[in-house]
Amino acid sequence: MSAHHIVNIVMIEDDEGHARLIEKNIRRAGVNNPIRHFLEGTGALQYLFDSPDGPARNGPALVLLDLNLPDMSGIDILQRMKAKDSPLRRTPVVVLTTTDDKVEIERCYDLGANVYITKPVNYETFAQAIRQLGLFLSVIQVPEPDMD
Amino acid sequence: MMRSQRRANRVIFLAVAAGFVMLAVAAVAVVWTFARSQDYGELVSHTIEVEGAVADLNRLNERIEAARRGFLLEGDLRFLETFEATAADIPLQIERIAGLTADNPSQVDRLARFRQLTQRYLTLLRSSIADKQAGGTGVSGASLLDEEDITIVEELRSISDTMAREERRLLVMREAEANRSVYVSTVVAIAAAILLLIVAVGTIWATRRTLRALTSTGVQLQELNDDLESAVAERTSELQRANAEIQRFAYIVSHDLRSPLVNVMGFTAELNAAIKPLNELIDKAEEVAPEIVTEETKFAVREDLPEAIGFIRTSTEKMDRLINAILRLSREGRRVLAPEAVDMNALVSGIVDSLQHRIDEIGVTVETEPVPTLVSDRLAVEQIVSNLVENAIKYLKRDRPGRITIRGKKANGRVLVEIEDNGRGIDPKDHERIFDLFRRSGSQDQPGEGIGLAHVRALAYRLGGTITCESVLDQGAIFRLSLPMALAPQQGVNT
Repeated sequence: MSAHHIVNIVMIEDDEGHARLIEKNIRRAGVNNPIRHFLEGTGALQYLFDSPDGPARNGPALVLLDLNLPDMSGIDILQRMKAKDSPLRRTPVVVLTTTDDKVEIERCYDLGANVYITKPVNYETFAQAIRQLGLFLSVIQVPEPDMD
Repeated sequence: MMRSQRRANRVIFLAVAAGFVMLAVAAVAVVWTFARSQDYGELVSHTIEVEGAVADLNRLNERIEAARRGFLLEGDLRFLETFEATAADIPLQIERIAGLTADNPSQVDRLARFRQLTQRYLTLLRSSIADKQAGGTGVSGASLLDEEDITIVEELRSISDTMAREERRLLVMREAEANRSVYVSTVVAIAAAILLLIVAVGTIWATRRTLRALTSTGVQLQELNDDLESAVAERTSELQRANAEIQRFAYIVSHDLRSPLVNVMGFTAELNAAIKPLNELIDKAEEVAPEIVTEETKFAVREDLPEAIGFIRTSTEKMDRLINAILRLSREGRRVLAPEAVDMNALVSGIVDSLQHRIDEIGVTVETEPVPTLVSDRLAVEQIVSNLVENAIKYLKRDRPGRITIRGKKANGRVLVEIEDNGRGIDPKDHERIFDLFRRSGSQDQPGEGIGLAHVRALAYRLGGTITCESVLDQGAIFRLSLPMALAPQQGVNT
């Protein structure tokens, strides 16, 4: 990986409150990477795959994905990203959602999600989870997307 | 249709009954005819016997005459022997005829006369023999055949002829009578046979008609049954759809409710976090410029804000627990049940073991009696029983030693599990309510959201069972779980 490439964080989250809380806690963990926030799936997909400054064209990224989106399910985005010929198949995806349904979690991992985090209502736990995620983000090596 | 059917049935019944009556009549007629012909045969043989007897008598009379004549003419003693033997036979023969003709007064009269004449005749004959023995010619008068002798013989002959004729006449008369009765009974039998034939044909026709009607009714019934089955299947699938809809609704609602709750909690925490710098600011201001810090500000930051945040937090936490409960219930409803043979004794002892710590802590006596094995979803049964046992432990009375009994039995193809405790009991007015979601009974001195029993009831219903409560306040409670012996396997997931 090229050192000069900063890892962009792409957050796909329809709830602005959640997005704000996630961002705050990531920052509190000392992660200062740029965060791109999308409120719905269509725009996010477009950015991910087609935008000139998006991860498919330009540099490594990490995706924070909510499963409940107004226009599509986060599962669809996950599926497209982790498809066999996708340039983003190695891009880490952290699924962040309110569902703690076992089947749902298993499905996400089966589709290639790297981490699955349940948004707990207990805020301390939540904040801690996000901060740990931030620590995790600061140490992981994110691969370059396939530029083919 | 029903009435005509009933009438037809009655007609068929009457026809069959009439047929049997005809059969009986024909049989009686045949038997009667047979008896008649047998009677007739007897009569014929009787007549012949009488005729024979009369002929025998005539022969004897002739023989005795011949013997006398021989003796009279030749004086040979052998003739005398014959005479005596025949004289002894004649009365016997007369008595035999008397026995045979005792039923006919005219014949009896004739025979009496015959007997009289014979006696006279024998007397005459004996006197002539005595005369010969005495040395005379034995022929008193002119010849061997004196006048009286001849008259008697002739009369005897005529009487015997009359008797034979009378028997003949009687035979002819009786024959005619027998023929007539045989004719009558034959006619009766034939008529009965014809009627029987008609009844039989009619009955066969009617029975065939009834059978055809029965077959078509059966077909109709089958169709109706099929219709009913498909109607039931339709309703069932409707119900399943509705149920699935409710489950999905509960799932979506609870799921979507969590989302805003995350925000409420999150930003409440942010507010809470903001209290700290504010507090520091007030502390610093009190130090540097105490005049700008009013009591109101201090109170707002140090009392009001933490209190408000505290309430918001406990309320949202509670709300979260409730939503989670709904989520869990809806998830349970969507789970596919996997029936298997469940060793209830092992299951119960497993539950007791898992609660052993609390049981020892409070000092509860738990008695487990054998519970029959059943085929059901192990996890669901385990959750039900474990919830009930936990409740029994949880709501014991502090002032008396706890005692919990778990027992089971088979009844009408179901397994009944009872969990009895001597705890604080449940007010009878709450016996239904306690099974409702978020509803609790009695003093609220134990933690809980009122979810356990709602969960238990939902599970029991899913397993095709029921759960009831019997309790008097302060006197313990018995929870009765009734489950089918075998739970039918499920067809797919109903989501």
